[in-house]
Amino acid sequence: MINVMDHAIAISKLSKKYRRSGTFALHNLSLYVDAGEVYGFLGPNGAGKSTTIRTLLNFLQPTNGSASILGHDIVKDAVAVRQEIGYLSGDGAVYLKMTGQQYLDYLGELQPPASKAYKQELTKRLQANLKKPLGELSRGNRQKISIIQAFMHQPRVMILDEPSSGLDPLMQEVFYELITEAKDRGAAIFMSSHILGEVQKVCNRVGIIRDGKLIIERNIADMAQEATQTFDITFKEAAPVTMLKQLSGVQKVTQNDVHSVTLHVHGELSPLFALLAKHTVTKVDTRALDLEEVFMHYYQAEGKQDV
Amino acid sequence: MFSVVKWTLWQRRWSTLWWSIGVASLVLVTLAFYPTVHNQAASLNKSFGGLSNSTLALFGGTDFFSPVGYLNSQLIYLMLPLLLIILGIGLGGSLIGRDETEGTIEALLSRPISRTRLLLSKSLAGGLIILIVTSVGTAALVAMAQLVHIGVSAGNILAACFSCFMLVLTFSVVAFLLAATGRGRAAALGIAVVYALGGYIFGSLASTVHWLKIPSLIFPYHYYHSADILRGTFDWSSILFFALFTAGCMLISWLSFRKRDLG
Repeated sequence: MINVMDHAIAISKLSKKYRRSGTFALHNLSLYVDAGEVYGFLGPNGAGKSTTIRTLLNFLQPTNGSASILGHDIVKDAVAVRQEIGYLSGDGAVYLKMTGQQYLDYLGELQPPASKAYKQELTKRLQANLKKPLGELSRGNRQKISIIQAFMHQPRVMILDEPSSGLDPLMQEVFYELITEAKDRGAAIFMSSHILGEVQKVCNRVGIIRDGKLIIERNIADMAQEATQTFDITFKEAAPVTMLKQLSGVQKVTQNDVHSVTLHVHGELSPLFALLAKHTVTKVDTRALDLEEVFMHYYQAEGKQDV
Repeated sequence: MFSVVKWTLWQRRWSTLWWSIGVASLVLVTLAFYPTVHNQAASLNKSFGGLSNSTLALFGGTDFFSPVGYLNSQLIYLMLPLLLIILGIGLGGSLIGRDETEGTIEALLSRPISRTRLLLSKSLAGGLIILIVTSVGTAALVAMAQLVHIGVSAGNILAACFSCFMLVLTFSVVAFLLAATGRGRAAALGIAVVYALGGYIFGSLASTVHWLKIPSLIFPYHYYHSADILRGTFDWSSILFFALFTAGCMLISWLSFRKRDLG
C-alpha cells in the first residue's frame, strides 16, 4: 500500500474504464514518485500513459482507486493539486491565433510565473519566438512555448507527456538541463516518453505500462546492470578469442583483426578483467551504455506473453 | 475568473466588432426605408391582407406598416433575433466546445482554476459578447427611430431589445449546455439551431394552429411578444421564463461539466 504522505505523487490501484468502449484503459495502477526524482513512464501507443496523466490532472475521472499529489487528492482537491503542477500535454494544443507572448501572459494570469526574469531566461535558453502567432510556428517551436508555460512558475511537481517531441537535438539538451535543474530544486517529475535515450539520460526510475497495467518498474541503475556493455580491446599479441568466448557473461565476440576484438558483455565484468590481467592489453575502449535493448526486452517480452 | 473572461473577449474582439457592424447596418438599412413604406402603408396593408393568417403569423402578426408593425415585423420579431441567435448559438457551442475539441482546455485546467470557474467565466464572456452586439443594435435602433420619426418611444424599443436579448440567451445557453455536457461542437450547434427554428415555427403558428398551442409552451419563442412590448402592453412575467430557462440550462451544464471526462 502506497502512503500518500510519503511521496510527491502517489497512485494507488488507479483504474479507468471508458464507458463507450467498456474497456479498462488503466487497471489497478500503483506507483509513486518522490521529490527530487524523475520517473520515466514508458509503454507502447495506447498502453495507458496519457490516460494516467490525464487522470492525474483530473481531466478524466478515475473509475476506481485513488491518487494524490503532495498529499492532495486529485479529485477532491483538484484545484490545490493544480496549484503545484507544471503540465505539458502530449498533443501540444495551443491557441494558434495568439502569439507566444500573449499565450504565456494568459496562462501567467491564471498562475503567475516564479519571476519575470525566470520566464525571460527560459525564453532565451530555448530560443523561443514569442512574437509570431503560434499557428505560424513549427511543431518544435510551439513545443518550446509549451515547455516555458510548464516550467515558468517553478512547480513542485511536473507532469510531462512526451515533452521533447518535435525539439531539435540542441533544444533537447536544453530541455534535459531544465529537467535536471527542476530535479535539483526538489521537484518530482513524472514524464512519459518514447525516446529511450532520453529516459536513460534524465530518469532515476522507469515504469513500463502495457494494456493499462504496470508490467515492470526499475531503477535506471539496476537496468544498467542488465545492459550489455560493449568493449573494443586491442592486445599486444594475438587476441585470445577462444578464451574470451568461454568467459561468463560474454555474449558475442567479434574479431576485427589478429590483435583486436569487440566484446559484448552482460552482467559482471570481473571475469573479463581477470583474463585481461593475464595478457598485455594496449587499448580498451568502452562504448556508451545503451539501455534501449533492455527497454525493448521488456516491451517485447510482455508482448509475446499477450499473443 | 476575470482573466478567462478578459482573454475570451480579447480572442473574439474582431468577430464581436464585425457582428456589431452587421447588426447596426441591418437596423440602419431597414429603418432607412421606413419613411417610404410609411407613405404607402394603406396600399401595402391591402396587398398583404390576402396572405393567410399562418403566413402572417410567421412575420410577427397582421400589422406590417404601422410604426409598431414595421419595427416588429421587419426587425424585432424575426431579423434581429435571428442574427443574434446565430451569434449566440455559435458562441454557446464553441466557448467550451472549441477549447475541448482543440485541446486548449487542458492548458487552462492545468492551472489552479476550477471547472466551475471556467464554466462561469466562459458563459459570462459569451453573455457579454451578445450584450455588446445587442446594445450596438439597440443604440442604432433608438437613434434611427428618432431620425425617421417612427413614433415609438425609446423606452419601449429598449424594452423590446432587452426581451430579444433574453430570448437569444435561451438558445445560446442550449448550445452551451450541449457543449458543456460533451455532446461535441457540431451536435451542440445543430441541435440548438433545430430547437431555435422549431421554436420559432411552433411559437409563431400556435396562434393560428390549435394543436400547436401545448407543444409551443416548451419553446422560448412562445413567450416572445415583441409587438406587445413596443405597444407598451407587455406582461413582463414572460421574461421570467427566459431567465429561469437560462438558469436551468446553466445549472445542468455545471452539474455535467464539473465531473465528466474531458476530450
